[in-house]
Amino acid sequence: MRLETIVVVAKREYLQRIRSKGFWIGTLILPLFVGSITVLPTLFATKQTTRQTLVVVDETGKVAPELKAQPQEKDGKKSKSEFVFQFEPPAPDLKAQRATLDRRVLDGTIDAWLWIAQDALTSGEVEYHAKSVSKVFSQDALGDLVSASVQRVRLRDAGYDPERVSALSKAVDLKTERVSAEGSKKEVALAGAAFGYILFFMLYITLAIWGQQVMQGVLEEKSSRVIEVIVSAVQPFELMMGKLTGICLVGLTQFTIWLTTFAVLSLPGIVAAIATLPAGVTLPTLTPLMVLNFAFLFVLGFFIFSTFYAAIGASFNSVQEAQQVAGVAITFLVIPVFLMFRIINDPSSTFAVIMSLIPIFTPLLMTLRIALEMPPLWQILLGYALTLGFIWCAVWVCARIYRVGILMYGKKPTFQELWKWMRYSG
Amino acid sequence: MTINLELRDVRKSYGGLVAVDDVSLAVPEGTIFGLLGPNGSGKTSTIRMIMDITAPDSGEILLFGRPRRREDLRRVGYLPEERGLYPKMTVMDQLVFLGEIRGLKRRELLPEITRWLERVQLGGRGASKVEELSKGNQQKIQLIGTVLHKPDLLILDEPFSGLDPLNQELFRELLLEYRQQGKSVILSTHGMELAERLCDSICLISQGRAILTGELRAIKRRLGGNSYRLVGDKDVEAALDRLRALPEVEQAIIQNGHVGVAKLLLRPDADGADVLRRIVDFVRVHEFRSEEPELEQIFLKAVRDAA
Repeated sequence: MRLETIVVVAKREYLQRIRSKGFWIGTLILPLFVGSITVLPTLFATKQTTRQTLVVVDETGKVAPELKAQPQEKDGKKSKSEFVFQFEPPAPDLKAQRATLDRRVLDGTIDAWLWIAQDALTSGEVEYHAKSVSKVFSQDALGDLVSASVQRVRLRDAGYDPERVSALSKAVDLKTERVSAEGSKKEVALAGAAFGYILFFMLYITLAIWGQQVMQGVLEEKSSRVIEVIVSAVQPFELMMGKLTGICLVGLTQFTIWLTTFAVLSLPGIVAAIATLPAGVTLPTLTPLMVLNFAFLFVLGFFIFSTFYAAIGASFNSVQEAQQVAGVAITFLVIPVFLMFRIINDPSSTFAVIMSLIPIFTPLLMTLRIALEMPPLWQILLGYALTLGFIWCAVWVCARIYRVGILMYGKKPTFQELWKWMRYSG
Repeated sequence: MTINLELRDVRKSYGGLVAVDDVSLAVPEGTIFGLLGPNGSGKTSTIRMIMDITAPDSGEILLFGRPRRREDLRRVGYLPEERGLYPKMTVMDQLVFLGEIRGLKRRELLPEITRWLERVQLGGRGASKVEELSKGNQQKIQLIGTVLHKPDLLILDEPFSGLDPLNQELFRELLLEYRQQGKSVILSTHGMELAERLCDSICLISQGRAILTGELRAIKRRLGGNSYRLVGDKDVEAALDRLRALPEVEQAIIQNGHVGVAKLLLRPDADGADVLRRIVDFVRVHEFRSEEPELEQIFLKAVRDAA
């Protein structure tokens, strides 16, 4: 085995792919896509205030004053939905009044009307009439305002002081803090899970894409018959390792670009600008140690799956043929997705530890665990050692199949034949 | 004289089929060696073993005077029968890559590649993708890739198939140049006329067996003592069966592309004059003369004798 030959092959694989437009489109599309589905809606949702003009008809005569007195803000911040109430007394002909209100909604002079019926205090129901009843956020806010008002009326009727009751029944907030070596930080629980989730899928996508690329690259060399010229100067093993190394570096480049984008986006200042977070709360941040682990896990994951993809590509003659068997490799990539939710729930459970130490799952699941909470060092190292051992075996098996397969043309090999190729000596 | 390549009783079978049956041959330096035979005779199987793409079941392969080693293959230039280049790579990148995998440095490769591209009139196409080139031009690129590292032994498997006459000439020039430099060329082909014009030595393979090996001139002298050229009217074709039925005639074929011209190979002891006397009974003869046999005739005879 000559190292310089592997380098030459790897260099070709890397440069050819890095120079292609497809790589950059693929690399930039994901952050743009994720960005557009996460950042943009929050951007619009948080910055825009909707104002509605409502007519309120209160048959009880008790709720309206409370509603008028309700502060339309929460935690010192202005609500995103603002309501302008026009209180009107119930007319003698209720039916006619309702019809008039409907007309006013239709011709646009008001946005909606509320009808607080006589039995509203007992039935707990208040009518809301509007052209559109799908303004979920503003309807929620309105519902909160009306409920609070009704509750106050009920309390007062029962002889309690609403102010005192609300002070006594104030809810408790769980201030979630994450304990790490750098000290405790306030962190939103959901953000922690999302962080693990994003990193998990970043790795998942890169592994799936570049594994496929290895398979297609091998098939391309086979179908363009360039392989015969190459193997007269390069040993099949060198060619395979060069190919894997080159494409691994391409994948790592992409992964790095994504990680960097992610790291930049999750910088405190930027997060504050795009999403409103409670004071003193930060999102999880990428530490250099984490990045190092993620990069290493990517390389491990890549070699696990790509050696198989290389062998599969070498054994068949077309992408269609190979795809059927490639499905098996994909299965091992998909299983961690099903295990993910249980692990997010409890990243240090026995279940999580055992699953993340199974070599074929280690890259994805260890990434998830590191993102959620740094596992003990021995677990990480054991995971690495087991995975490296597994890769060694996989390379041994796959290189043998690859060596025979790349020069075989014609019919699809049977499993017996693959087994035979594997046992060819030398 | 140094022997660049030697095969000793090399054998290869696929399943029950013997593709190469104890073939022995030697290619000295400074020669163009023809590996001849019809399609499916075992030429490509033999070459693939020389290139260590497949392993022989038995026998020995010596390269540059010693048992073949992997690194010696770098001194060989190999043009496979099935041409192949990376379609998406540029011509320049492709050629640099082919040089680099044989241990050459980019720096030394660039001027060499430029020189070659100019020679084959593709000077301005270095930045073009291979797939944008015509088939013939792709073949030129592949040839450059084969000779770029200045191999001492060149193995060309059916190099002329699909080439226009202009490119054939280019290939021919190159082969002769190689011979002049004291290097060896192995030319595998089923085109006998071509081999006849170019080769110094040949090995005829039929059904995996080497049925005739040696210097072309010696073979002709040995086997072709009694060959005649018959020129008649158009009726020569029609009379072919009657010609073959004559006891003195071992073989009668129509010369390619010539109406009314037949090539006859007579038994070694047969007398041309006797034969002519019989032929005039059924052919209007314009010309009948003794000549050197063509390789094709020798080949056909050898195949028949071997069977």
